[in-house]
Amino acid sequence: MTASAISRPGERDRLPVKLGQIDWRLAGLIALIGGAGAMMLYSVAGESWAPWAGNHLIRFGAVFVVMLGLALVDIRWWYAAAYPLYAVGLLLLIAVELFGETRMGATRWLDLGFTSLQPSEIMKLGIVLALARWYHGASAQEAKWHWKLIIPALMIAVPVVLVAHQPDLGTSLLILFTGVAIMFAAGLSWRIVLTGIAGIMVVAPMMYFFVLHDYQRARVDVLLNPEADPSGAGYHIAQAKIAIGSGGLLGKGYGLGSQSQLNFLPEKHTDFIFPTLAEEFGFLGAFFILAIYGAIIAISLRIASLSHNHFGRLAAAGVTATFALYVLINGAMVMGLAPVVGVPMPLLSYGGTVMLTVMIGFGLIQSVRVHRYLELPKSRGVI
Amino acid sequence: MSDRSPIQFNEVNERQGSFLRRTFLLGGVALTGLGVLGARLAHLQIIDQRRYASAAVANRFNDRLQVAPRGLITDRNGVMIAGNRPSFSVSVVRDVTQDLDATLDLIARLLPETAERRRRIIREVNAAPRFVPVPVKTDLTWEEFARVSLFVNELPGVLATMDEVRFYPFGGSFAHTVGYVAKVSDRDVEAVREEGEEPPAIFYHPGFRIGRQGVERSLDKELRGRPGYQRVEVDAEGRVRGEDADGSRAATPGAEVVLTLDADAQNRALEVFEEESGAVVAMDCRTGDILCMASAPSFDPNLFVSGVPSVIYRAWADYERNPLLDKAVGGTYAPGSTFKPVVGMANMLRGGDPNRIIVCNGGYYLGRRFACTGRHGPQDMRNAIKNSCNVYFMTLAVEMGPDPIAEVARNMGFGQIFEIGLGGQRRGLVPDRAWKRENFQGENQRWFAGESPSYGIGQGYLEVNALQLAVYVSRLANGRQKVMPRLVRSVGEAERAQGAFEPLGYDFDKVRVLQEGMEMVTDAGGTGFRNSQLGLGNMRLAGKTGTAQVRNYTTASRGRGGNWADRDHNLFIAYGPIDDPRYAISIVVQHGGRSGGAIAAPKAREIMRTLILKDPELLARVNAPPVPEPDVAPEVAP
Repeated sequence: MTASAISRPGERDRLPVKLGQIDWRLAGLIALIGGAGAMMLYSVAGESWAPWAGNHLIRFGAVFVVMLGLALVDIRWWYAAAYPLYAVGLLLLIAVELFGETRMGATRWLDLGFTSLQPSEIMKLGIVLALARWYHGASAQEAKWHWKLIIPALMIAVPVVLVAHQPDLGTSLLILFTGVAIMFAAGLSWRIVLTGIAGIMVVAPMMYFFVLHDYQRARVDVLLNPEADPSGAGYHIAQAKIAIGSGGLLGKGYGLGSQSQLNFLPEKHTDFIFPTLAEEFGFLGAFFILAIYGAIIAISLRIASLSHNHFGRLAAAGVTATFALYVLINGAMVMGLAPVVGVPMPLLSYGGTVMLTVMIGFGLIQSVRVHRYLELPKSRGVI
Repeated sequence: MSDRSPIQFNEVNERQGSFLRRTFLLGGVALTGLGVLGARLAHLQIIDQRRYASAAVANRFNDRLQVAPRGLITDRNGVMIAGNRPSFSVSVVRDVTQDLDATLDLIARLLPETAERRRRIIREVNAAPRFVPVPVKTDLTWEEFARVSLFVNELPGVLATMDEVRFYPFGGSFAHTVGYVAKVSDRDVEAVREEGEEPPAIFYHPGFRIGRQGVERSLDKELRGRPGYQRVEVDAEGRVRGEDADGSRAATPGAEVVLTLDADAQNRALEVFEEESGAVVAMDCRTGDILCMASAPSFDPNLFVSGVPSVIYRAWADYERNPLLDKAVGGTYAPGSTFKPVVGMANMLRGGDPNRIIVCNGGYYLGRRFACTGRHGPQDMRNAIKNSCNVYFMTLAVEMGPDPIAEVARNMGFGQIFEIGLGGQRRGLVPDRAWKRENFQGENQRWFAGESPSYGIGQGYLEVNALQLAVYVSRLANGRQKVMPRLVRSVGEAERAQGAFEPLGYDFDKVRVLQEGMEMVTDAGGTGFRNSQLGLGNMRLAGKTGTAQVRNYTTASRGRGGNWADRDHNLFIAYGPIDDPRYAISIVVQHGGRSGGAIAAPKAREIMRTLILKDPELLARVNAPPVPEPDVAPEVAP
């Protein structure tokens, strides 16, 4: 198929052509991370597919197919679904606030009878799509500095506050930063950006004293001085650092990480999978995985920048921002650079919900790439 | 945007341009963030690798101290006096049990009686150092042990182990001399600190015991051995996953200690004392080996090993016959008439003639009347010893004054402590003029002539212990050497040999006079005749009886009846056989209330019989046909 052939009307809507337009390099890198995750889960279970590695691989296969399926969904459908999805997410968050199920002191789950659901996960996508759609309809000036910016600001603030109240500081920050990243990418005035940064520097200490829960404050304390209580709150960070550090340049070998094999590493299959990898494969292995994450982020942002429609650009950038935040927050957390906030390493950690969210996000990014030449009008009702 | 701009963007292009710049910036930020993570990774894994690697090892391996088996203590013939026996026990490790209460609940279901001691267990568990198992119950029966072992893997932090526990097979027989071991107390820790050392880690191991009395205490360091380490690989819950043999060190058992004691003589000693209170020391008067050293009544040292119940301890401590005191070295008594040969020797050394006759009229007058034990008539030194005539020795003592007596007394072993590896010895007191000068005020610094008669009969200020008495008889029996006592024959491979003894420094003829007197004591008409006959062929003992006044007599009973604590002490010293002295013995019966001959002599005789019958040479003599020249027809005490 030649380049000229693809510009033929209707040609781009053919299934084989669409499949060809999927970024297979990106899909391959994603599969690499998913596979590495399965491999590490096999190791931490003591060389066993049960209980995690097998599940992880099956789930990953399933969501990989979901990603490919979503890649073929017309970008206009995404556009149409943006506000409804956001609205559903918001309603569910309110429902959680009212009737949610409390587990381990946090009200995050909604019991649907057959399964339980974390509405905050829906909101991670909802906020990206809704903001992208709003900015798609906004002018450059409106995006820069305009009273109408109160709308995206509220779109971000309401779910952030609801999620923070659950309390789920990690997800709440993730939604906040994702939203802010989209506002920034959409063209928010530099003056506002710099003022905002200055404001955070002032507000953050006040947050620490007046807004955070005790356990959250303890996590920050631990971050600032992890050696103060190595067997108590600092245990997670201390053990993760020992795992990473003792891995050295080349690692202890697959299945030989004593820190994780002997259970010194808590949550070794979820939030703290990365230290296990660093322990068993050393600096080279861990840096290789970080490089792949970097490549995924770079490719995703390039896809965003190549889209011909503003909605696609912002949606892809927003999803990438969420993904990058996952990686950075988890990485900083396990290396003792950020407080322990319960954010997994995407695709590497065990856990179906986050994997589904992230892969739906990549489905959206792939869809943006597949439909990058589509010009979306600014008006509503595109379909 | 700007009208002056040379290129006019339409709005879409302006949004796209801004987006591209901003996205590029965001991407840069994200990749910088990843770069920071990579740098941090390099810092942790390359620069600080060594530190974290050792932290991982420390996490992973756990050095468990192992108490070394304590050295055995045996008697001269290899009979075990103190050993170790296996004991099944259940312990709890604090840092491994997540929930001590729940764990104890489960243990209580298997071993119901632990519920009663729960408080104490919790206190001990909380006091123990990290990763050290604290026994919840020791000495489990096999059935109990099997029951616990079945569930032990499901109870994190609970261990079912076979330990070694100190064991004294003879119970109270050696309780004072050999001593006992007990849990390390704060005082033990302080004692080590006072010597400027840090208490060893093994002190805090609940299975470790420290020597508390007797040989167990004085040779504690040798008996302790060297603790071992078992380096085990543990997981975060403390469950053992494996052992690192290279990092482990086997415990070195403590040195075996061989004593000079004879278990049979020792047991016989405790038997003959029955309920009575006192001490006995028997020695080989040629080598100085202590063959028997007992204090009665005694206690069961096995109870100290796991902790004496306070009710029992109180009973021991409150009993007036004081079972906890080692009366052989830790109690001092007036030697009474057993001291008279000292006075005789002092007189002879000053040129006194042992054949000089002093007439006893039943009392000695110096300001007041000092009563004699009878009305003995004319007495020479030999007969004065035989009849235990007070008048004779009072006369000599007043003539000489205290200093010559004190000199001989010291030379004979009184007023000193012997380095036999036994603590708690009391020196006693050998009074003389210098002592009075140093310890009294004003007028009383003088030695009054009226104090000498008491000195002459072994009373007054004079105080001796049973070991000193035994050394004294040994030197009398030996006659030529200053025999020194020995209790510890060897520690491990090292023999604790005695050097050659110093000469006693007296003409043997003079010693012979005393010996002849003592032979008459146990012969027909002597004060010890009735109860000192061995009944072993022609073998005889020589001895000297003694009765020491505990207080001034105010009642008509004269120390023979009434309150136990007011009665006289009865003493007997002896050696034998008289033709070839080998064994010497001293015995003190506290508040026996009668005479040395009646109360102390029969006990001494029994112990001496045991020693003689265990001596192969003497036993051969007993079994041999009677020698042709029997001076004395063997008579058995009625």
